[in-house]
Amino acid sequence: MTDATGWLEKIKALPLQDNVRVMNVCGGHERSVTLSGMRTALPDAIELIPGPGCPVCVCPEEDIYQAIQLAVEDGVILVAFGDMLRVPVNVAKNSIRSLAEARAAGADVRPIASPTEAREIADQHPDRQVVFFAAGFETTTAPVAAMLVEGIPDNLSVLLSGRLTWPAVAMLLDSEDAGFDCLIAPGHVSTVMGPEEWAFVTDKHGIPAAVAGFDPSSLLAATYSVLRQHLEGKTFLDNCYQGVVRPGGNPDARKQLDTALFVDKANWRGIGEIPASGFSIHPDYAQHDARLRFTDYTADERRRAGQMPPGCDCARVVLGKIYPNQCKLYGTACTPRTPVGPCMVSDEGACRIWLSSGVEYAA
Amino acid sequence: MCLGIPMQIKTIDGFNARCEAKGVERDVSLFMLQHEPLATGDFVVVHVGYAIQKVTAEEAETAWQIYDEMLAPEAGRDA
Repeated sequence: MTDATGWLEKIKALPLQDNVRVMNVCGGHERSVTLSGMRTALPDAIELIPGPGCPVCVCPEEDIYQAIQLAVEDGVILVAFGDMLRVPVNVAKNSIRSLAEARAAGADVRPIASPTEAREIADQHPDRQVVFFAAGFETTTAPVAAMLVEGIPDNLSVLLSGRLTWPAVAMLLDSEDAGFDCLIAPGHVSTVMGPEEWAFVTDKHGIPAAVAGFDPSSLLAATYSVLRQHLEGKTFLDNCYQGVVRPGGNPDARKQLDTALFVDKANWRGIGEIPASGFSIHPDYAQHDARLRFTDYTADERRRAGQMPPGCDCARVVLGKIYPNQCKLYGTACTPRTPVGPCMVSDEGACRIWLSSGVEYAA
Repeated sequence: MCLGIPMQIKTIDGFNARCEAKGVERDVSLFMLQHEPLATGDFVVVHVGYAIQKVTAEEAETAWQIYDEMLAPEAGRDA
């Protein structure tokens, strides 16, 4: 098996003439790329671009607002993955801007690490309503579906902001300027959904693509694969994470997704609506759908509802149109301690990954 | 959030397993791996408390090497 150094040598030996832009769509990939120093190690002609790989970053602003209102106004126990708690919404000064601020103001907001914890909390508080605010891509949404299929207490509902990864890539490829020449497809999304989900990139668009794992060796193998495809003009969907990504994905997970949820149009923060890019709760599970069960606050009159915060360039960072350090707030007004946009909040946000790795502002 | 951590199964009780990695034990749901025969000693990739794939011991070891490297700079980071 070739190690990272071996793949690096193979890549350096490729006769690259022009710049090649290689996009990844996974926060875990971006973290590994950045922390391993891969950008510096690779030839200058290869650009590694972080694309739409952060579900927290694209979670609709109005969904976060809704979650805050359910905790503050309806008095539910609001549970969410920890990443979501500090994402700010657009409200007037001195209003509650995030779930963390709601918690500080006395609302019952609890970070959880697993859907099973949501069930446990609901079991412990049969006299209270518990709402699980669940944002995530396919890998994270599948366990939410599994939880619903397995069965949950009556007092537990889900405010679902699940998203599919590939439709954002399809949207970029269907646009006039996709902004990349090759794609590194996500590892654990493919573990659940199967690598075939990405075949449209090579088959329909003629863009090289390879599924990668998270170690530098797998990421470099995938980079080498897409560069070779690019040079030879022959594209095929390669799988450089074979031990964990198998044809067809995880059949139980896919069945549970199909049972408890359905694919629906969905809004992406700062980007807009993308057809068939989100998950909604299946009517058979409507009694656990927080959108049907509680007051809808999303119609509240608010300035910049649904948008990124003023001055924040997260939407263009998410789409790979600019690098994180090209946003004028990067590292000054916007830091992990005082985040303005979601890309600086989430562990999967490119801005947070770059800043916490010491990448400086690009003046 | 799509990070998956390889863990070794210590005990199995229905769809619930007690799994271990690097000396840390966690309860893990096997509900998404009903199609896969699993036994004590097997390795699974765990994401948000659910096993999403069975892997070999070698694959688990490779993944742990990178996570050690990735997580080390995180220590002491503003959380």
